Amino acid sequence: MKKLLSVLMVLLSLCTFVFASGSSESADDPMSGTITFAIWDNNLNAFIEENDMVGKFQEVYPNAEIEVEKIKDDTEYWNSMRIRTSGGQLPDVMFNKPFTLARFQNYLLDLSDTEAAANNILAEGYAVDGKILGIPMTAGYEYVFYWKDMFEEAGVEVPETWPEFVEACQTLQEYYGAQNPDFIALGIGLKDEWPDYPFMEFMPALINGEGDTWNVMAAQDAPFAEGTDIRTAYERIYELFTSGVLGKDPLGLGNDQITNLFAAKQVAIFPSGDWSLQNIINAGADISELGTFYLPVRMSGDESYKVIVQGDSLMGVTTHSDKPELAKAFVEWFYSDAWYPDYLAYVSSSSAMANFPKEKDPVLAESDQRDDIEIVTYGGAGDDFTAIQNAVSFDYKKLGAQMLTEGFDLEAVLDDLNTRWAAARSELGIE
Amino acid sequence: MGSIARQRQIFIFTALFIPVILLVCFVVFPGVDLFRISATNWDGLAADYDYIGLDNYVRMFNDENLWQSLKNNMVYFFVHLLMIPVELAFAVVLNSRLRGAKFYKTMVFMPYIINGVAISYAFSYFFSPINGAFDAILETLGLESLQRHWLSDPSIVNFVLAFVSVWRFSGYHVILFLAALQSMPQDILEAAQIDGAGTLQLFRYIQIPSIMLMVDFVLFDNIRGALQVFDIPFVITNGGPGYASSTFTLYTINAAFKFSNFGLAATMAVAIMFLIVFIYIIQNFLIHRVVLKEGRK
Repeated sequence: MKKLLSVLMVLLSLCTFVFASGSSESADDPMSGTITFAIWDNNLNAFIEENDMVGKFQEVYPNAEIEVEKIKDDTEYWNSMRIRTSGGQLPDVMFNKPFTLARFQNYLLDLSDTEAAANNILAEGYAVDGKILGIPMTAGYEYVFYWKDMFEEAGVEVPETWPEFVEACQTLQEYYGAQNPDFIALGIGLKDEWPDYPFMEFMPALINGEGDTWNVMAAQDAPFAEGTDIRTAYERIYELFTSGVLGKDPLGLGNDQITNLFAAKQVAIFPSGDWSLQNIINAGADISELGTFYLPVRMSGDESYKVIVQGDSLMGVTTHSDKPELAKAFVEWFYSDAWYPDYLAYVSSSSAMANFPKEKDPVLAESDQRDDIEIVTYGGAGDDFTAIQNAVSFDYKKLGAQMLTEGFDLEAVLDDLNTRWAAARSELGIE
Repeated sequence: MGSIARQRQIFIFTALFIPVILLVCFVVFPGVDLFRISATNWDGLAADYDYIGLDNYVRMFNDENLWQSLKNNMVYFFVHLLMIPVELAFAVVLNSRLRGAKFYKTMVFMPYIINGVAISYAFSYFFSPINGAFDAILETLGLESLQRHWLSDPSIVNFVLAFVSVWRFSGYHVILFLAALQSMPQDILEAAQIDGAGTLQLFRYIQIPSIMLMVDFVLFDNIRGALQVFDIPFVITNGGPGYASSTFTLYTINAAFKFSNFGLAATMAVAIMFLIVFIYIIQNFLIHRVVLKEGRK
């Protein structure tokens, strides 16, 4: 018995030695080990699983392992990342949106020296102090989806200016609303609040043609004063939202419901991102009569037709990564020929890489059939803006929905915001 | 000390050591730390922060949207409170020799075990203003005049959400009452019946006092649940329109995660802790001293 135990002990020691030396060898190799990759996007998750992303990456880096962490949705993603930041437990590779980049800037590595960043058409626009902290996965355009046959029946032309857009909504509401009290000319799922972002978030930038609007606001004491771009935008939005074109109960429906109603042609116009095309198709719509145009914000045809584009899902490597070289190699691989073109073909969004151009879906390409388009790259929010926004609890998406509540006074709300904005700037010491 | 007594002490110590350590690490320490964070301006991310004294408490008391949210919590509290006698009555009925009692018990308990988010999502479609099932039911019954904007009318939205909450949680209370009733010794009931007590007298003087501990627990659970309600308003209305259906917890989570103010959120968490204890003491006093007219024990 004692002999058997001795033999077992020797074997155990040998095993420990072999594994220990093996692990120290892999610990020395920067291209081996496990990295975590946290995502929220259902489409990306499905594509990763169907196409064996880990296996394909291991063909190039055989000693590497990737743990994909799928988080329920982007709201939950930011909550989780925030908690993990304070615990020093961020994943090796994470995504950001333009509006969250400032929040996590101290926890992201500079990717300026990567080939992926060099080939990305939008990355430089989101650089912080000259450092590229996130490489956009796709270029996101905002569209207004509409049903051509419904426009034709109601005698409505595709609008080219803001007044024409307002008029088109009103004509559609009057025409179809007369037969169907449930009809909605302009479908925005305001119960969820966020679906008003094409208006509340992007319209100020579209009016002045500056993607950096939020950061410009951070340097002003009264950004909501009479005549400013943001006030002009919100006054126009208020007028549109309260004109009855959002249907009988605009605050009672969320984005999923509006998407389904649009697919069933109970909604005529649906402003949303390119990603919504997939949802409209999934809702069972026959898209032969589906068309798109860019939200016209200009007041007359003499002005240029401004169109917003934003880098979506900015991939970055965190400072908490203990395998930063491997994580960077993964980012390079992700945006290489081995993976990116197939992913791009799978989603309806546009390419963010100059070396992999993508033809738009015919429905979305319709919007580009004009020669007066001026692209405005959306800059997101910087440090100062975020600090003031948090201090005054400025929630522009909620504000859009509040416009439809009883007793809402836009002028008073904007004046109050001005006062609190100036106080917050002075308290935070922002010049 | 005898060896049995020593063994007993060793057993008690080892049995309690791990739970107490866990409790201290994961409940007591975070609870105490909450007070410390409530005195800071920590944004939830930065490594450093400043101590700002009672500023967060002042800001919290001056925040009218937070008061609105707390008012909304009270709707859940009172609606559930009104339902407790009904739940108790249900439990008594189910405890009697009712035909198909097992089936009813299952049906009553079912909503509690279904995922809360799924329930909320289903109800947001049920109360939808277009193609909504509830409006369709009213229409079928010829009651179109009763149709409302169930989820967007600030005057009724909290009652609609409280109804969903009642639908979900009442079964849980019924089962708790039922368990308490079933654990009652039958001989007391039989003795009372022989003495000529009627059903109502049995209920008031025998059953209620016997299950008072459970009633107390349900009353406390009601306060805790009503003040911490989150998933139902979050999924169904997102606290809207405006802050019309926001709740204290929803507002706290937004302060922490939407506006990066963990210091203020911690202040709100401290406040809710005290509020729960405060309301419990008042409720206990009202029910035991005023309603049941119990003396000091």
